[in-house]
Amino acid sequence: MKGFYFIIINLLLLNCLTAQGKYLTKEGYVSFFSHSIVEDIKADNNQVLSIVDTDTGEIAIQLLMRSFMFKKALMQEHFNENYVESYKYPKATFSGKINNIADVNDLNMEAEIVGKLSLHGRDKEISTKVNIRMVKDELILSGEFTVEVADFDIKIPAIVENNIAKTIKVSFELHHKPYK
Amino acid sequence: MLGRKVYLILSFIFIGIIAIALSFYLYNKPHVNIQKTDADYHLSAQQLIRDYEDFEIESNKKYSERLIEVEGQIHEVSTLRGNMVIALKPANSPSSVICHMLPEESEKVLMLKKGQIIKIKGKCTGYLLDVIMVRCILVQ
Repeated sequence: MKGFYFIIINLLLLNCLTAQGKYLTKEGYVSFFSHSIVEDIKADNNQVLSIVDTDTGEIAIQLLMRSFMFKKALMQEHFNENYVESYKYPKATFSGKINNIADVNDLNMEAEIVGKLSLHGRDKEISTKVNIRMVKDELILSGEFTVEVADFDIKIPAIVENNIAKTIKVSFELHHKPYK
Repeated sequence: MLGRKVYLILSFIFIGIIAIALSFYLYNKPHVNIQKTDADYHLSAQQLIRDYEDFEIESNKKYSERLIEVEGQIHEVSTLRGNMVIALKPANSPSSVICHMLPEESEKVLMLKKGQIIKIKGKCTGYLLDVIMVRCILVQ
């Protein structure tokens, strides 16, 4: 299943890269936030790869789990080694479709984005609202959604159970440029 | 008898303090000091890209999360959310090594010019069309 998914995402990437009217960023921003009574945990990733095909609305996103930067080194270490097992699953991917992309203009418009999020070797269908606008030649997508830690088979040891939220908020801001 | 009890209580307090101090230290442990730590690998941007292109899974195991000193030609210097980013790109390669610099390096990075050959040390996080390095510094 993983191999199949890998082929699909690469085909989509290649398809997007060779066709016309495509938008790309290698510097997209994704962050996640966990709030619990014990502590708040936040991590930022500024190296997100995202490709959008404005003709079909298809979107493919890839990010490296190790590119998430935490304030505390210990949190980053635990995240990579114990929770998401970055050495085994180095990337997270999203592959989906933006509905009503044909109506996009320079105003802040809301669109629906539906697709599959793959993380820690598990897939999950995601459907969320996204703010979308075209500023000069930039296609900007931003928004937030929540994910359940349990959906991705991420095991949190009982000792730190109260430190990490069961539902994590994910925010994103992707400034795509025309791919030439 | 009383003396032994006091001794025992004091030992517990002492062990408790050590345990609290140790957990506090671990919890607030700083990130690796890139400047003071030796690189695990020294190689050219071209070699690093080639390794990832040819053997991504093996290279991920070898280089990811490691400190790498990479030498290459500056293709582009840009700013991303206030921090400098240097792309090292070998001739005839579609991929680059993208180095996200630490904020304290900004002043030095501004002096750099396209085409210059430089050495950068930083932590490799993997490969996404390009090799990504974070928390980078310029090696003098």
